[in-house]
Amino acid sequence: MFNISKEFAPPFKLIAPFFISGVLFYLIATGALLFYPASFDFLDLSIAGWVHLFLLGYVMMVIFGAMAQLVPVVLETGHFSVDWFYVIFPLLLFGTILLVLGFWFDPILISFGGILVLASMIIFAIDVFLTIRKTELKSITVQAVKISNIFLLIGILSGFLMALTLSGFWSVNIEDVIKAHVFAVLGGYVMITIYGISLVLLPMFGLAHGFYERPVHIALRLMVGSVVLVLIGAFLGWSIFRVMGYILAFLSTGAYLYQIFLIYKARIRKERDIWSKSMFAGYGFFIYGIVLGFIYLLSGGSLPNILHTSAWSLFVFFAFLINGHLYKIIPFLVWFHRFSALVGKQKVPMLHEMIPKKQAEYQFWFSLAGSVLVALGLIFENDILLKSGASFLFAGALFLVVSTRWMLQYRSENG
Amino acid sequence: MAKVTKEQVYDAIRTVIDPEVGFNLVDLGLIYDVDIDEENNVHVKMTLSTRGCPLHQMMQQWVKEAVEKIPGVKDVTVEIVWDPPWNISMASDVVKKALGAQ
Repeated sequence: MFNISKEFAPPFKLIAPFFISGVLFYLIATGALLFYPASFDFLDLSIAGWVHLFLLGYVMMVIFGAMAQLVPVVLETGHFSVDWFYVIFPLLLFGTILLVLGFWFDPILISFGGILVLASMIIFAIDVFLTIRKTELKSITVQAVKISNIFLLIGILSGFLMALTLSGFWSVNIEDVIKAHVFAVLGGYVMITIYGISLVLLPMFGLAHGFYERPVHIALRLMVGSVVLVLIGAFLGWSIFRVMGYILAFLSTGAYLYQIFLIYKARIRKERDIWSKSMFAGYGFFIYGIVLGFIYLLSGGSLPNILHTSAWSLFVFFAFLINGHLYKIIPFLVWFHRFSALVGKQKVPMLHEMIPKKQAEYQFWFSLAGSVLVALGLIFENDILLKSGASFLFAGALFLVVSTRWMLQYRSENG
Repeated sequence: MAKVTKEQVYDAIRTVIDPEVGFNLVDLGLIYDVDIDEENNVHVKMTLSTRGCPLHQMMQQWVKEAVEKIPGVKDVTVEIVWDPPWNISMASDVVKKALGAQ
């Protein structure tokens, strides 16, 4: 019989800093977009700086915070050591700052930031592996968490090799290794984590039951095959492996999207709250990004603006998925921390009452408008569209910061 | 000693609200069975809308505390079961309508 004990839940003061920092990094990332042109090269170090600001500072920071809370839920056991997250947070925070500053201003800082990030991720992965050893569950989510952490380590090690090369301490072929790095982190870690966790969170929040789960199993296997092929192709310099890997990735995302459709069809809760709107927007951008990525592949790599817009759409997908879930996770954490002990003794708020609905709406619509404008700016390589989009995104991010603060400080008249 | 009735137990559990969905556990159809023996020991069999719900143990505790408040109740045990799995048909019409299932 499964049993989630209250003791498994990490303390609020441990998780909150991950979310606060993640949201602030998101604000900085949207503001930094104002200083970028609509046409660029992925190998440009300042672009790499922005990508790391977004992916490490925002995406990873929020994922790590969420995983601190979710690992005990999905594995149905307590963390091997929840206290390690007190170490993971400053390492990831300062590592990201140094790394981004290194990409933007002085490459020597990259390896120093890289080693802090590497340390934070190794500690995170070890905690997850040791926690997995405690569970008897064999669910798809457990498999996904296990596999994604292996790819996380591969991704960060390949990144660290590049950091050492850029700082002059090592020598690897950056153009080859970067493909392995990007694919191991984005496909192997972020996407597989999303595959596994969405099978818990989407049915939980949408109250979906009894749906067919086979597509996500197929998606997971295809993505593992995809990342392995891209890794082999990148390290051995065999482009055919890479292309096969990309094709498997497209098939994998197709299977995953079909799974999401099945969950969507089976859901009972049909209200259009901020979470469900964010999911629609996020998955919409995901589909758009996949289509563009496929067009880019068919073009033989001759349309960089298509690739840039595809990558942007993937980032927008992450942003809507993460921001949408923040409106579920933060109120729950605050409620759990501040009100759960008062149940039955006095009136406690419902979770939906702990969301600032107007600010959340503004955040959603500004972010959506900004994401569309930036996508248009990138596809037409138009600086004005890109910068106006960035302005909307920044305004949306400001509303997200305000909403997050409001939710974290929520107190009812009784609490 | 007055005999505790099932209605009293269900009414007590109606004070326990799922904070995410915003409805009480009885109307949500999460209470599968209530058994009261001769000595007013109460056994509640309940489920949760989602396996993996982080409030699992707390909901059990809330139900126990709510039932313990009924005068005359001696001991309360709350058992979580997953068979049959919960589905929306077990909820009241009010809940179905509010969630958009009707």
